[in-house]
Amino acid sequence: MSEFDVIVVGAGPAGSSAAIKMASQGLNVLLVERGDPVGSKNVSGGILWGNDLAAIIPDWEKSAPLERYVERKVTSFLTGDSEIAIDFKTKKFQEKKTGYSVLRTRLDSFLARKASQSGAMVITGVTVDALAMKDGRVVGIINEGETITADCVILAEGANPRVAMAAGLVGKPNDRTVGIGVKHVYKLGENVINERFNLRGNAGFAGEYVLSFLEGGVYAGGFLYTNKDTVSMGVVINMETLRKNGNTHSFDIMEKFAQHPFISGLVEGGQLQEYSAHFVYEGGYEDMPRAYGNGYMLVGDTAGFSFSNGMILQGMNYAISSGILAGEAAIEAKKDNDFSAESLSRYQKKLDNSPAVLDKKNFQGINNVVWSPMVHRAIPALLESSLYSMLYETGNPKKHLSQIMMKSLKSSGMNSKDLMLQGYRLMRRM
Amino acid sequence: MEIEEKLALLNYKTDPEYEHITINPKICETCPDHFCTFACPAKCYTLIEGRINFKYEDCVECGTCDVACAHGSVMWTNPKDSHGIKYKFG
Amino acid sequence: MIILALEIIVLVKQVPDSQEVVIDPVTMNLNRSLTRNVTNRADENALEAALQIKDKVDAHVTVISMGPPQAETTMIECLARGADRAILASDRFFGGADTYPTGLTLAATIKTFGKFDIIFAGEETSDSSTGHVGPGVAEFLDIDQITYASKVDFKDGYITAERELEDGTEVVRVPTPVLITVLLNSNVPRRQTLRRKIDAMKQGFESWDHEKVGLQPEWVGVRGSPTIVRKMRPIKERERAAKKVDLAGIPDLVKELYQKGAIKLESE
Ligand SMILES: Cc1cc2nc3c(=O)[nH]c(=O)nc-3n(C[C@H](O)[C@H](O)[C@H](O)COP(=O)(O)OP(=O)(O)OC[C@H]3O[C@@H](n4cnc5c(N)ncnc54)[C@H](O)[C@@H]3O)c2cc1C
Ligand SMILES: Cc1cc2nc3c(=O)[nH]c(=O)nc-3n(C[C@H](O)[C@H](O)[C@H](O)COP(=O)(O)OP(=O)(O)OC[C@H]3O[C@@H](n4cnc5c(N)ncnc54)[C@H](O)[C@@H]3O)c2cc1C
Ligand code: SF4
Ligand code: SF4
Repeated sequence: MSEFDVIVVGAGPAGSSAAIKMASQGLNVLLVERGDPVGSKNVSGGILWGNDLAAIIPDWEKSAPLERYVERKVTSFLTGDSEIAIDFKTKKFQEKKTGYSVLRTRLDSFLARKASQSGAMVITGVTVDALAMKDGRVVGIINEGETITADCVILAEGANPRVAMAAGLVGKPNDRTVGIGVKHVYKLGENVINERFNLRGNAGFAGEYVLSFLEGGVYAGGFLYTNKDTVSMGVVINMETLRKNGNTHSFDIMEKFAQHPFISGLVEGGQLQEYSAHFVYEGGYEDMPRAYGNGYMLVGDTAGFSFSNGMILQGMNYAISSGILAGEAAIEAKKDNDFSAESLSRYQKKLDNSPAVLDKKNFQGINNVVWSPMVHRAIPALLESSLYSMLYETGNPKKHLSQIMMKSLKSSGMNSKDLMLQGYRLMRRM
Repeated sequence: MEIEEKLALLNYKTDPEYEHITINPKICETCPDHFCTFACPAKCYTLIEGRINFKYEDCVECGTCDVACAHGSVMWTNPKDSHGIKYKFG
Repeated sequence: MIILALEIIVLVKQVPDSQEVVIDPVTMNLNRSLTRNVTNRADENALEAALQIKDKVDAHVTVISMGPPQAETTMIECLARGADRAILASDRFFGGADTYPTGLTLAATIKTFGKFDIIFAGEETSDSSTGHVGPGVAEFLDIDQITYASKVDFKDGYITAERELEDGTEVVRVPTPVLITVLLNSNVPRRQTLRRKIDAMKQGFESWDHEKVGLQPEWVGVRGSPTIVRKMRPIKERERAAKKVDLAGIPDLVKELYQKGAIKLESE
């Protein structure tokens, strides 16, 4: 007899969601988290997109520690001198919320408390060292040389899954599958935020930026989200180009973003409260490991259910939905008293029809395009010079837009054939 | 703001007994790129008179150096027993 | 002859994480809802000192805390480090206590045991840091006390302890029963393993109210506290600045500091 039906390793959104689901259905669950308190190791931008929590916490929009709902969404290119942005505001988001800003220490504590209230045993401040294996199947976990047994282990370790890596269940992260996330949190005060971002009540601002002003060929995306009385600002740095450059410090890129003339003003007068950094999972569909096996399942970032490419940053939502599906699979497996790979393959079946996998499939290969000279250099340069020529009053007769574009294109260093091709690829994958 | 000032804002519970990341100085000696010094967001790796100096106390456990070091010098593990970085916001 | 196990008691308090203490600017109280709570660090050292004795001789270690229900995490943590039993004296009547009823309540809890040999406390807490409570408990129990111990050893009914003093180290030898307050960082607390944490969760801790402790409501908490806090003032944050100058820049720097009133001439 195992001590637990299921042990969940890691109390991020994926692990806690799985634990809530299983414990509320009566499974005997142990949730182990190395941070104490829960959440103290974790970093997100972060906007929690979607409504995935509703399945396990029906009143989550009222009870969870949410900062502001997204009313204003900005997608923007930042060059050295300019910002070219799409600024989308809609009152429609008021009725149907698309996303909320969150701070991880608060969100994760809340979710873990829910897991505990649902009946799971939640233990914090303990690092799981390894999986316990017997006859080719997972039979529990190991901490400080002692084994705790379970019929099934769910690995929810996030983007740096040491236990799953050591057991060979996932590959070692590499320059292509991870980016470096760096973040600042500023205290600004509720009123200042409302005024500065033109918001009211608990409406919020979510901005995502392509940092095309960076020199030396380094690619990075930026984000800026409003919380109740703080602002989260950060960058995701592409590891491949940082290495190629070989002469730029990751922390300087964060500082450069914070100092950009059109960004620094947004947090002016704010006090820096926290500096943080964390892996961002960036692998594509082709990098995803098999999410189940004899006596185990992988969820959240560990299973590759995260989406980041310097323009889009999502992962908490997929973490939650994959956690819930793994929970469902465990509940069904428990009924059959069978946690073999064959039985747990039901998890994969559930995943195959879920947005977590479908999005990943649909966006296959998009990273190659998004982390590309076109998006990070050519488009911003083109837009900047076209808009500048169009809007700048020269006193000369206005040119046709097409003429301006052609001229700008020449100065952007890309030929029109390349642009068409990459543009086509991008469109096809968006 | 300097990175040192930013790190000074952080709350750590440092483990006096266990260094969760170690490097192999022999390997670093012949390293051609010292990419760890550029990649680590917490400036734990610095080059002092041509030698790599590593301090685990400032580490925020992001995982970067394990991938950044292409020469197999970094031995990376999680801290034990609630030690290490403690974020207030995250 | 029956040799009874040594009864060791450790007093522990849960405190706000010292780096995150927030004072509510309106009420001037510690805003405990915003801060996270941890076990007072010196009390971890006190527990470790107790466990090191238990490693050598047959002993039974009980941790006692007076505090709100949130102190549960501290209780579990102490059990997971190796304590045998954990008692949380928790009652709304205990609220608002100064060091006098805190000591009284802890002493009364200990008295219910009948037999006790060694009581450990931290030198002081990181939130109020009066250092009163340990000595207070010793007085209420009318036993000897050793304060500011950096090293503790037990043998044949005697405690030998090193005390860190300003002008050196003092070694004292005292028979039990005795209360010892332990210096912060005087040892390295052992790890809580997952196995022990699971067992601790299953075992659970005991929660005692004023009746179980054996005290009247008017003796404890805010009513039993002789201290009245009349007024509190926040410390004005001084502006700090740093400036790097080379040797040649020093005269100018001195002049600047003088003009700002930061330094004075000897004759003034
Ligand atoms: C800078 C940045 C910005 C981001 N912005 C967004 C955003 O705006 N929106 C969004 O949806 N996503 C965002 N993401 C991605 C998102 O944070 C992740 O996809 C999400 O956190 C994944 O959840 P998870 O539960 O799988 O893993 P995590 O949240 O990483 O949780 C894993 C947990 O497991 C614990 N753990 C790990 N190993 C062990 C072990 N061996 N023993 C015990 N415990 C262990 C960790 O301490 C941690 O608590 C961002 C990420 C970063 C870094
Ligand atoms: C803002 C503020 C102002 C205060 N003002 C006063 C005041 O003016 N006068 C006054 O007398 N009190 C005052 N108190 C309350 C009081 O000082 C303490 O909260 C309490 O009495 C414990 O004292 P201490 O924290 O200084 O413990 P210390 O005496 O520093 O603690 C020494 C050791 O005693 C043990 N110990 C202490 N408290 C407990 C406990 N609750 N349970 C178990 N073991 C314990 C621990 O081992 C600890 O390491 C104030 C509190 C606050 C927050
Ligand atoms: S840790 Fe790796 S990258 Fe850094 S100096 Fe050593 S060998 Fe080079
Ligand atoms: S894990 Fe991150 S913060 Fe820690 S040393 Fe490595 S790169 Fe630096």
